[in-house]
Amino acid sequence: MDILIALANDMFFAAIPAIGFAMVFNVPPKYLAYCALGGALGHGLRMLLLTQGGMQVEWATFTAASSVGLVGVYWSQKLNVPPKVFTVAAMIPMVPGVYVYKAMIAIVEINHRGFSLEIWKIFAENFIKGTSIIAALAIGLAMPSLLFYRRKPLI
Amino acid sequence: MSTPISEEYQRELSRLVIKTGQMLLQHGAESQMVGSLCCRLGEALGLDSVEVSLSASSMVVTTLVNDYCITTARRCPDRGINMHIVSEVQQVVVDAENNAIDVAEVRKRLHSIEPYKHNRWLVVFMIGLSCASFCRLAGGDWLLFGWTFLASSVGMFVRQEIAQRHFNPLMNFGVTSFVTTLIAAQAEIYEIGNHPFLAMASSVLMLVPGFPLINSVSDMVKGYVNMGIARWVFASLLSLATCIGIIAATTLLGVWGWV
Repeated sequence: MDILIALANDMFFAAIPAIGFAMVFNVPPKYLAYCALGGALGHGLRMLLLTQGGMQVEWATFTAASSVGLVGVYWSQKLNVPPKVFTVAAMIPMVPGVYVYKAMIAIVEINHRGFSLEIWKIFAENFIKGTSIIAALAIGLAMPSLLFYRRKPLI
Repeated sequence: MSTPISEEYQRELSRLVIKTGQMLLQHGAESQMVGSLCCRLGEALGLDSVEVSLSASSMVVTTLVNDYCITTARRCPDRGINMHIVSEVQQVVVDAENNAIDVAEVRKRLHSIEPYKHNRWLVVFMIGLSCASFCRLAGGDWLLFGWTFLASSVGMFVRQEIAQRHFNPLMNFGVTSFVTTLIAAQAEIYEIGNHPFLAMASSVLMLVPGFPLINSVSDMVKGYVNMGIARWVFASLLSLATCIGIIAATTLLGVWGWV
């Protein structure tokens, strides 16, 4: 029961940023609901895989992104718009912003305070983590066209 | 082709094809989509083939009919991500493929696409709420939720104001993150909420260039390595500008927490 409440909470608070960022990307209002649904689905699935499945964050992200990518293909063919209209906004809650910033701030700090192994470690770890999660997101979203739509266009 | 295409007509088609590509590239479509939609439109309108060459700030298109080539180039300065325009252009190409519209109609529709804009206050509200949700997802309590909402709404307002005056996006991101962190860091100073640092961390997440980063990786995966690298570098510069804003604000306030 607890896990269901946690899941609902997670999906609800992931749907909000999906809509918010979809608006920044100028997604027309009629598609915003799909962005919200995709965001909730992706983040909720990742949360389940992380907490229940004990998966590594990159693989959980990849699985979630591929699932949203597949659903996005279905919506895209139904509504006749490119899949990225829904799917990228849906990925935004999973983008590893804090890792990216920590890596960048570490670089600036090395410049300020001079080199130390401790700051370098912060940079390397956050940079590698952030990059792999972003790669997992992008490759996950591209999975349908890498697997099924190799020679023909999606819509 | 049974009816030969005149040079003037081919020139007109080339203009339409490159206009399609230019609009897509300027509004954040990924490279493979730009290339394939240009080719599809050209072939639907009766050209033998269309070759597209993309670079970060411009594009070149060559159209071929009966071994006669026309090559044309356009600059493609970034106009910001706009999924409305991308989906409208896609619609025009699909309609042209289904022979639902002729060349004059394609031209008219491409030139009449007006970018859809959401109400700016609604965007400010939703982005505030989005960053507050990030804070909530990271385990912040309701007090921090409210504080993050305040910081990032004000930040989003600043970002819109600066963007409206056509400043460089790098400067915009730096100033916005500075203002946002100035407000969010008050949580750390007055020890608001359970993990005051979360307000600072979540409120600047609205400046993460998520779309360019995802486009960058998918471009590289799909073989457009130069475009992918260009997008990656620009996204990194945007996050670097954001970080400089953050560091300026935290140094000014004497708050520390990031590294």
